[in-house]
Amino acid sequence: MNGSVGVNVSAATFATSQVLVLVVLSPLLIGLMRTVRARLEGRVGGGVLQPWRDLRKLLLKEPLQAQGRSWWAMAGPVLLVSSSLALCALTPLLGTVTFPSLPDDLFVVVSILLLGSVALALVGLDAGTAFGGMGSSRHMMISALVEPTVLLSVYALSIPVGSSVLSRIVEARLDDPASVLSPVSLLALLALTIAVVAETGRLPVDNPATHLELTMVHEAMVLESSGRDLAWLEVGSWLRLGVLLGLVSTLLVPWGVATDLTAAGMLVAVLALVAKLAVAATALATVEVALAKVRLFRVPELMAGSFVLAFLAVTASYLVVQG
Amino acid sequence: MAIPVTVRRYAGVVAAAAILCAGVALDVVVRQSGPVTALGGQLRADALSAFMLTVVGAVGLTATWSGLRVRPNPAPTNAYAVLVVLFLGAMSLGVLADNLGVLWVAVEATTIATAFLVGHHGTRRALEAAWKYVVLGSVGVAIAFLGIVLLYAATRSAGSPTLSWATLDATHPALDPSLVRLAAALTILGFATKAGLAPMHSWLPDAHSQAPAPVSGLMSGVLLSVAFYAILRVQAVAAPVIGTGLMRGMLATAGLLSLAVATLLLIAQRDLKRLLAYSSVEHMGVLALAAAIGGPLAISAALLHVLGHGLAKSSAFVASGWILETEGTTRIEDLRLLLRRRPGVAVPFLVGVTALLGLPPFSLFFSEVAIVVAGVQRGMGWVMAATVLLVLGAFAALARRVAVIAFGSSADEPEQMSDSAPDWSTPGPRFPLGVALGTTAVAGFVAGPFAAVLTDAARVLGGAG
Amino acid sequence: MSETTYTQLLQLSAGLLLLCAVLIVWRRSLGAHIRLLAVQGWALAGLVAVLGLHEHSAELLWVSVLVATLKGVVLPAVLARATASDRTRAREETPLINTTAALLAVSFLTMLAYLVSRPVLALGSTAAVAAVPVGMAMALFGFLVLSTRRHAVSQLIGFLLLDNGIATVAFLTAGGVPLVVELGVSLDVLLVVLILRVLTSRIRTEYGDADLDDMTELRD
Repeated sequence: MNGSVGVNVSAATFATSQVLVLVVLSPLLIGLMRTVRARLEGRVGGGVLQPWRDLRKLLLKEPLQAQGRSWWAMAGPVLLVSSSLALCALTPLLGTVTFPSLPDDLFVVVSILLLGSVALALVGLDAGTAFGGMGSSRHMMISALVEPTVLLSVYALSIPVGSSVLSRIVEARLDDPASVLSPVSLLALLALTIAVVAETGRLPVDNPATHLELTMVHEAMVLESSGRDLAWLEVGSWLRLGVLLGLVSTLLVPWGVATDLTAAGMLVAVLALVAKLAVAATALATVEVALAKVRLFRVPELMAGSFVLAFLAVTASYLVVQG
Repeated sequence: MAIPVTVRRYAGVVAAAAILCAGVALDVVVRQSGPVTALGGQLRADALSAFMLTVVGAVGLTATWSGLRVRPNPAPTNAYAVLVVLFLGAMSLGVLADNLGVLWVAVEATTIATAFLVGHHGTRRALEAAWKYVVLGSVGVAIAFLGIVLLYAATRSAGSPTLSWATLDATHPALDPSLVRLAAALTILGFATKAGLAPMHSWLPDAHSQAPAPVSGLMSGVLLSVAFYAILRVQAVAAPVIGTGLMRGMLATAGLLSLAVATLLLIAQRDLKRLLAYSSVEHMGVLALAAAIGGPLAISAALLHVLGHGLAKSSAFVASGWILETEGTTRIEDLRLLLRRRPGVAVPFLVGVTALLGLPPFSLFFSEVAIVVAGVQRGMGWVMAATVLLVLGAFAALARRVAVIAFGSSADEPEQMSDSAPDWSTPGPRFPLGVALGTTAVAGFVAGPFAAVLTDAARVLGGAG
Repeated sequence: MSETTYTQLLQLSAGLLLLCAVLIVWRRSLGAHIRLLAVQGWALAGLVAVLGLHEHSAELLWVSVLVATLKGVVLPAVLARATASDRTRAREETPLINTTAALLAVSFLTMLAYLVSRPVLALGSTAAVAAVPVGMAMALFGFLVLSTRRHAVSQLIGFLLLDNGIATVAFLTAGGVPLVVELGVSLDVLLVVLILRVLTSRIRTEYGDADLDDMTELRD
């Protein structure tokens, strides 16, 4: 009894700190990516803190409601933020201790991810405008292609471990960091990266900086939201980006993640996470500078490709099990 | 690098004659003192190899000798002469190898040697034919290689890695049946592509109709048979391990399908050389059925069929080349009443086609009858009934198309033609065609020594049935 | 070399082979295809070298040098020269099926490869045998490329992919075929590629480009 209380306490501590760290970090992450991009393009940029300033401004503003919007215009953003916070709490970014009653199972995580996507898409549809609907339909098309890839690629990683709980996978990775070089994890991580890039609306799938009606996806959905609602939507999306980037980099480079609760371990874990996220964000932004957005009808091609990679990872993992 | 004109002209003939002599000599030696090996066992001549070598030489001699022009201009190019010799050499290596891997290399080498021969004329059609031929031929044979690799893996896991059928036949290692089954299926599928069996035949009419006539004769008359020989070897290696059921099914299906496809496409064929090419598909179908039946009678008959078909088909192709040269076309519609106008080229062609039709006294009649009899004996009555129907269909289709050349209504005949005297000249030597067709005509009757040659050769394959 | 290192290196090269094969199906630029084939050739040479070190076979090490030279350097160079004269159309423009369908076909073919390899997998549970489906899958992808691409060079690439797949199966199941056969096979492949390369340039001269859809004169 005592032990399980101890586990619950340390799980709660990890979850809370993950939420806190990510809430602080995610806007900074976006700021970092924008700054890197700006510098590479020869601009000065708004600085790393600019997203936080934007957020403060938006939160202080009264949301303007379009005519005919329903209660969902306010509930949707909140749901998105809640789902993102739940993701932050569950994903083993700092420590691999989990609640015994609520493990960070792969399927739980993906369904929460999907919940957020649906909430966002409904917000886009709610105002009944052309752009919102267009953005939502594109978003759902991409999601429909991305979710199977995420499922499959993490599933492939889970086969050698024998468990679909993310923490167990990360622990196995910690035990044997060289296993990242196996074909299974190479293929799966490649697929996962493409999926994460698509899911979080980065180039080459969506351009987060565009308001061009022919191409925008995410921006089209949030076009009708303003003030506090817009702030929640942005925070929700940023948190998702932070969590998913963190997940990929943790799976790739597991060092620093704590397996039990100690003050020193926590400090190392936080510092490691900050470093990993900074590197990942810089890398992503650098790559984005060199990429052009692919035409929308070629997005399925990209997604089919990543799906196939994930699928191959699954088949290749049987090769390891038998071998 | 210029090769003297005389050498260029006669290189192929000399090579073929040498192969023929070697084949006959080996036949004699092997019958007296058993198989001969050379090069540390890489080459091995048993009765079957010796027979096949004889066929390569005989058909090669027919095609190259009668392919010589009466007028030596234009002399064949360097490349042509070298490639023909390489082609003959690759086929000889194929039938003499005692190693499935070397056999494979030789079969692939025939594709390489003939690729530019098919594209020799340099026209768009020749180019298209050469491309299809090389791609489909190489891919098909690559499948066979996959099968050979798997067979090698099977022998390796049984403790004695080898690709030599003599060794396999002598030691009978305990091979894994399911692996051998996969290997045999892939190998037969691959070599069947090279043998032009349906449904992998689509390259054949293109390649055989675009190549120069002597090369068409060689490819149709003996290269297909070399691929068929490879199938027989694989069958003999695999049969003791997995029985004959699977291979019989595959070969019988391919055989019947080839007959059906050939019959259908013969009916509406407008080009003389494509007509002959589809006739090759038909005859390869008959051979595949013989291999499916298995057993001494069917295999002996198949070997007789290989010889008869090789000689008759190469003669007919060479004659079709003469027709192209004198008439400037191989469109059947334009060749009406050729028999009356130019009997010199029409007679050898028609005699060759008559042999291919399987009419007595030509040996193809006897071999086809023997194959059907063997099939019925072995309880493949329904398959044989279908075979007979399809062969008769192909007969009717081929006869109907060719009849135009021989007869045709005189209403089609241009006025001025009826006045001029029949032209008995030929653009090449008649003698080799006469010998080849004569051999085909008498081969069926020569009992005694010749029958013994065939049964010995068939016995090499053991109880492959 | 320890058993674990051997297994990991083997799996790494097998994974690389498969990845290159998938990317060849995915990409449409012929230049990318040729680079991927070169990488695949080196991966195959690496695979052979790993097997050779594991089995202490000097012959396999020589074969790996041969493979690296032929498939990693010579064949890609020949292909690169085949496309060099054709800057304007160094892409596969009109495949018979679109990339998405081709990629889905790839996942289907991978499953098929596992099914087909079952008799081989029954041979034993060594790491090498377990990787055989990779070779089978490569061969099947080669067929896919051959049957759906219409550019002459694309077909060459499909043929080489098929050949690499078969070679992979050969090395994984049997440590390669006997050396004399290996040499013959390498020579044959090289010659076939050279012949097809010459035919490609003739086709281009004759038809203006290397699209095989233009070749429709021979049919019944």
